[in-house]
Amino acid sequence: MLKEEKIMEKGETKFTFNDFARCEQPNWCPGCGDFAILASIKKALVELEVAPHQAVLVSGVGCFAKLPYWARTYGFVGLHGRGLPVAQGIKMANPQLKVIAFGGDGDGYGEGGNHFLHACRRNVNIAYFVHNNGVFGLTTGQYSPTSPKGTKSKSSPEGSIEVPINPLALALAEGATFVARAYSGHLKELIELMKQAIEHPGFAFIDILMPCVSFGRDLKYYNDKTYYLEKPFTDRGKAVDKALECEKEESYALGVFYRE
Amino acid sequence: MEKNSLVIRIGGEAGFGLAAAADILAKVFVRLGYHVFSSKEYASQIRGGHNYHTLRISPRPVLADADKVDILLAFDKEALYQHLPHLSAESLILYDDKIQKEDIPSSFSSFALPVQQIGIDFREKKVDNTIFLGAAIRCLGIDIKILDEIITHFFSGKPAHIERNLHAAKKGYEIISSTKISFVSSHPSKNTSSLSFLSGNDAVSLGALKAGLNFHVQYPMTPVSGILHYLSIESTKNKSLKVVQAEDEIAVINFALGASFAGARAMTATSGGGFCLMTESLGLASMAEIPLVIIEGQRPGPSTGLPTKTEQGDLQFVLHAAPGDAPRVVLAPGDIDECYTETKRAFYLAEKYQLPVIVLLDKYQAESFKTFDLEKEELSLLLDFSQRWGIKEKVEEKELLRGMFPRYVDQNSFQRTLPGTKQGMYTCAGDEHDETGEIIEDRETRIRMMKRRMGKLNLIKAELPSNQIYGSENAELTVVVWGSTKGAALEAVEKLNREGKKFNLLQIKYMCPFLEEQTQKFLHQAKNLLLIENNYSAQLGSLIREQTGVEIKDKILRYDGKTFTVDEIYEELKKRC
Repeated sequence: MLKEEKIMEKGETKFTFNDFARCEQPNWCPGCGDFAILASIKKALVELEVAPHQAVLVSGVGCFAKLPYWARTYGFVGLHGRGLPVAQGIKMANPQLKVIAFGGDGDGYGEGGNHFLHACRRNVNIAYFVHNNGVFGLTTGQYSPTSPKGTKSKSSPEGSIEVPINPLALALAEGATFVARAYSGHLKELIELMKQAIEHPGFAFIDILMPCVSFGRDLKYYNDKTYYLEKPFTDRGKAVDKALECEKEESYALGVFYRE
Repeated sequence: MEKNSLVIRIGGEAGFGLAAAADILAKVFVRLGYHVFSSKEYASQIRGGHNYHTLRISPRPVLADADKVDILLAFDKEALYQHLPHLSAESLILYDDKIQKEDIPSSFSSFALPVQQIGIDFREKKVDNTIFLGAAIRCLGIDIKILDEIITHFFSGKPAHIERNLHAAKKGYEIISSTKISFVSSHPSKNTSSLSFLSGNDAVSLGALKAGLNFHVQYPMTPVSGILHYLSIESTKNKSLKVVQAEDEIAVINFALGASFAGARAMTATSGGGFCLMTESLGLASMAEIPLVIIEGQRPGPSTGLPTKTEQGDLQFVLHAAPGDAPRVVLAPGDIDECYTETKRAFYLAEKYQLPVIVLLDKYQAESFKTFDLEKEELSLLLDFSQRWGIKEKVEEKELLRGMFPRYVDQNSFQRTLPGTKQGMYTCAGDEHDETGEIIEDRETRIRMMKRRMGKLNLIKAELPSNQIYGSENAELTVVVWGSTKGAALEAVEKLNREGKKFNLLQIKYMCPFLEEQTQKFLHQAKNLLLIENNYSAQLGSLIREQTGVEIKDKILRYDGKTFTVDEIYEELKKRC
C-alpha cells in the first residue's frame, strides 16, 4: 500500500489505485454518484502518474465535500462554498502541486457563486469539479440553484420560483478556458474528461451531473437525457448557445464544450 | 520668536496635494533630526470636502496630536474657519490670496501667498502645495536646500515633476522676506540615517516582510488599503512575494488559508466590515490549525459607520468572532513602532502554534505617520525568521497512522507537513477530526482535539512579554489604555509627572490570551484607576472585569470618530489631581 515511499518520482513506477485508498470507508448513501466521482479522480490521478503526495483535493461542505477524507492524498475540507479560493491559494503558493477543487450545486453555485465567477476570470491552473445533483442532500432535500423552476421540495412546497443557474454558460461568459459537462453514470468518459481538465494549463471546469438516490433524480433520468458532443466548439459564443439550449430542452450535452 | 516644538496644520479640499505636502514637510523635519507625528483627517470623498493634516514636531518623541496649532497653511477659506479656534495669538497663518484679507482676524500674523498668480507659470499641473511648502520653510528659517533634497527624493519615480516642484518651492520661498519663527537654531544634532517616517500601515508591512511574508491577499478597505498598496509595489521588486486582490473578504481569507496550508507565510488586512465576512473562516483556521496573520484596522461601526474616522470599537468582536470555542491570538499595538514589532510577533506565534493571530489597529494608528527608528525597534523582538517553526520535512513510514501522517497528534508541540512532502498526507479539516484529519463524531476524540486546540492559549501566554507600565511608582492615579490612545495618554502623564504629579499608565497590549495574573496584581496595587477608551461601551473595561474581577468605574470614553489629543487628556487628568 505504501509503495510510493520507495519509488516516488513520476515515471519511475506507476502508482496503483490502491495507493490512493484510505482505510476509512465513505458513508454516502448506497448508489450515490459521489462514489463514481471518488473512484474516477483516483483513477485519473493513477493514469496521469501523479504521486499521492503531489495531489491536493480541496472541498467545501455538502455530501460531496467529504470526498477528500476518503482519498489518500493531501486534502483540505473547508467551509461551505469556499473550496475555490482555498484551492487557488494553494496553487499560487506551490505551483508544483496538482490541485483539484470539488464543489456541489449548493456549495459552488449558491454559497460560493461569486468565487466561481472570479475563478473563471482569474484562470489559475487548477481543476474544478462540481457534483451537480440538483438538490441539497446533506440538509435532507431542499431545492438547489440547479433545480428546474417549479421543483417541489421541503422548502418549495408549491414549486420553486427561480430559473436554474446555467453553470456552463456562466463559466463561458466569465472567460473560463476549459468548460465541460460530465455524467457520473459514465465512468470511462468521466475519467477521460477529468484527465483532460487536470492537464489543462489553466482553470478547468467540469459540471458533473449525478443522481441523488435519496432526494433527487435517478440514474434513469440522466441515462435518457444525455448525449455526447462530437467535439468542442472552437467559438466561445457557439458553446454558450449550446449550453443555453441544453437547459431549455432538459437534454444535456456531455463532453468538452470549449477549450483554449 | 523662538520655539523648539511646533504644530503645523495643512487644510484644504481633497485633491490639492495636501497629503504630499504633509509628507514632504514632515520629512524635512525628520531629516533635521526631529521627532514628527503626523495625522490626517479626511472625508469619505475623493475630491472636495475638507481635509487636513497635522504635523507635530519636537526634539522629544511625539505620539499623538495636540490642540494648539502654531502654523496654519490654509489652502481655502474653509480651512481658515475650521481651524481658527485652534490658533493662539502667536500663531502664524499662510493663506492662498483668493481668501480675502478681511476674513482673517487682525490679531494673527498672516501672509498671503499669490498662489494663483505664481501658478500661471506651471500650467500643466497644479503646484499650490509646493508653493506653500517653500513659504513655510522660509518662515521657519530652514535652508531651502533641505526642502529641495526631499522634493527630489519624493518625486524620484516621476522625474518630470522634480524641476517644476523645485521651481515652485523657490517661488514660495521668495515671497516671505524673513524668518518668522526661529526654529532650526535649536535643532538636535542626532544622526538621522536610520530614521524613517512611517505610517502604521507601513510599519505593519515592513514587519511582515521582516517576518518572511510571501503571500498577501486583501480586498481594499479604509483604513488599511495602505498595506495593500505598500506590498503591491514591493511585489514588483521582490519576486518571492505574491500579492493578490481577491473578489471579497471571504475569498481573501480562504486564499490565505490555502496558501498557508501549502507553506506560505500568509497575511491579510481588513477593517471591521471585512472582518465580519471573514469570521466563519477564522473559525476554520482555528479548527484546522492553520497559521494566519490578520490585520484588523478599526473604524467606527456598526455597518459602514464613519468609514474614514477612527474608533476602538471592534475589540470584543475580534475576541469572540466565529462559532464555538475557537482559539485565536489578539495583539493590540499601541503605536507605530509597536505595529512593526507586534506584526513580527504575530507571524512567529501563528506559525509556531498554528492558529490565527489578529493584530488590532485603528484608523488613527494605521494612517498616522511617525518618525521611526528601525535599528532601535528591531531590538524589541529578535527572531530568526529564516527558520520555520513546526514544519516536518521528512516522514518515516513507522510514524504513519492508518497510512496517513498524524498531523493533529500532540498536545504541546505542533507539527505539520506541507503538501508535496512524501508520506506526509493528511486532511486539513474543518470538520471535527482525528489525528490524521479524518472526520469523526465520537466524544473521546472531540474532547482530545478541543483540549489540544484550546491548550495553545496557555502555552502562548508564557511566551508573551508583560504588559507595559509607564510613569512613577506609587502613583496617585493609574491610567489604563490600549491601542492608539496610548500616545496621547502617555504624553499627558509624562507632562504631569514633569510638573511634579504622580501618575502612571498601564497599556494592555495582549488581549488574548490575557495576562490576567500580572494585570490583576497591578490593578490591585493602584490607588485610583482611570480607563480611557475610544469606544462607547468600554470594551477593554469589560475584558478587564471578566479576566480580573476589577471594575474600573472612572472612565473617559469617546466615540465621535475622533481620538484624544494630548491636551484633552492632560486637562482631564489635572481635574483628578
